[in-house]
Amino acid sequence: MSTPVLRTEKVTQRFGGLVAVNAVDMHVDQGEIVGLIGPNGAGKTTLFNCITGQYTPTEGKIYFHDKDITGMTPYQITELGMCRTFQNIKLFPHMTIMENAMVGAHTRIKENLWDVIFHTKAYKKGEKQAEERARKALELTGLSDNPYYYGTDLPYGKQRRLEIARAIASDPEVLMFDEPAAGMNEGETADLTEFIREIRGLGYTILLIEHDMRLVMNLCDRIYVLDHGTLIASGKPEEIKQNPLVIEAYLGKKA
Amino acid sequence: MFNKITTAWALHRRTVTIVTLVILVAFPFLITDQYIVTVATLGGVYAILAMSLNLISGFMGITSLGHAAFWGVGAYTAALLSTKLGWPFILTLIASCVVALVFGVLLGLPTLRLSGRYLTIVTLAFCEIIRTIETNWKSLTGGATGITGIPKPEIFGYVFNTPMKIYFLVLVLCILTYILITRLMDSRLGRGITAVRDDYIAAQAMGIKDSRYKIMAFVISAALAGMAGGFYAHYMSFISPLSFSFDQSTLILSMIIIGGLGNLTGSVIGAVLLIALPEVLRPLMAWRQVIYGALLVVVILCKPSGILGKVNLKHIKQRELFKRGKEKEGEVKA
Repeated sequence: MSTPVLRTEKVTQRFGGLVAVNAVDMHVDQGEIVGLIGPNGAGKTTLFNCITGQYTPTEGKIYFHDKDITGMTPYQITELGMCRTFQNIKLFPHMTIMENAMVGAHTRIKENLWDVIFHTKAYKKGEKQAEERARKALELTGLSDNPYYYGTDLPYGKQRRLEIARAIASDPEVLMFDEPAAGMNEGETADLTEFIREIRGLGYTILLIEHDMRLVMNLCDRIYVLDHGTLIASGKPEEIKQNPLVIEAYLGKKA
Repeated sequence: MFNKITTAWALHRRTVTIVTLVILVAFPFLITDQYIVTVATLGGVYAILAMSLNLISGFMGITSLGHAAFWGVGAYTAALLSTKLGWPFILTLIASCVVALVFGVLLGLPTLRLSGRYLTIVTLAFCEIIRTIETNWKSLTGGATGITGIPKPEIFGYVFNTPMKIYFLVLVLCILTYILITRLMDSRLGRGITAVRDDYIAAQAMGIKDSRYKIMAFVISAALAGMAGGFYAHYMSFISPLSFSFDQSTLILSMIIIGGLGNLTGSVIGAVLLIALPEVLRPLMAWRQVIYGALLVVVILCKPSGILGKVNLKHIKQRELFKRGKEKEGEVKA
């Protein structure tokens, strides 16, 4: 079997005396949708932040294919081909929908100060490419209706989609979603589930954190469960549903 | 009403630009009073300063109270090089840019660690340090008396010795500054700057090296302010530390706040307004400053985001054209 796209090796993150993530081993294979679940405060987002470079893990290693990416900055990691969305939507409020998506293409186009000031061929090519990439990503996410309004004017569900479009425009191998269904109603969540399945079909590998069990169980090939920073279970959705440790973490011990 | 005007403006931007340029070129010919042309030239200097500060404070979102320092550094560079070493105008102007640029890096570095009001304090301190050096390094800068006898601008033997000639020179510099910043913002680099301002965590996650963009904004802004300084030194032929004090920093900041942060045309309008108003109000004598202040308060109360704040002509145009394209499509189908 080929090496996993993404692999963590004993990743630990401490904040002072608090161990937020404790020696977590996990991996994501090519083309998989992997879910990361756990009760509030389990360390899911912290682990996510370690992988995307917002934090440097206190201990342990993270590999993208065979490359050690531990301690790399977020922008280096995006350039390598992993891009994320945020739990609390982080769009650029002063940019149009189109520009938001064009920022996604930032690492994939080349323009330097000289090109920009003198409008050289490289500038024109870069702008065209950025726009094409953005347009494609917006079409894919169903946002191509007048993309010149501000991204923050969109309804909530569409703002999430725009964040995903922005990530897709960066041409990633791995897409990482931090609670994509947070704040969505049932209908929107069902749409999102369908949509994520669709983009997996396009060859993206997906790692997501989610609270919405229906979405996770419907969508994920494999699931990791974190509780108090420690991995307590992993496996297929059916196995996770039956796992007594998971049930205990979510619902408490039997009296 | 305001929206209708901005939409019309956005759709006929080229026409508006041409008309504005024609007015600006015709202006000194229509005005017989040479004093007014001189005031307009000063307005031009402040327009460059305001536009360049807008890059830091508007587009990059860092409130800077140190902009007069870059201006001063540029002015002193030009003054010293021309009076002591006899450099020609073009070279001193370039040197002003380069030296101010170096100081731009210096002030840019703290931005990597600080933000918000803490950073504003650093810019304020920077302005004071530069002013103190200008005042006290007497052997170099002439201290509080400043430097006199700086020659008038001269390009390949052509001397800019009348107010009108100088006016056209500053007009060209203004246009260059406007084009440079507009082009910068309308690119991958500009999107990077805006993204870092709007949300630096999201910007990093999109592959933007935020530190590089902060430094870049400071460097370009400082170089342009330095250019304004270089021109100012030759135009006034006399400079002293008083010209580049903290008051000037706040004046330039007021200009971009009144014009609207993040809008270049707004910066120019703000600069022209704040320079022209005291002259227009001159007949009011002692009441002048009171009315001046009151007018500014009224403008800000009526438009808290500044005259052209939150107006992005490019976005408006794109949106309108897309809408119209859709409507046409609908008509064809129907």
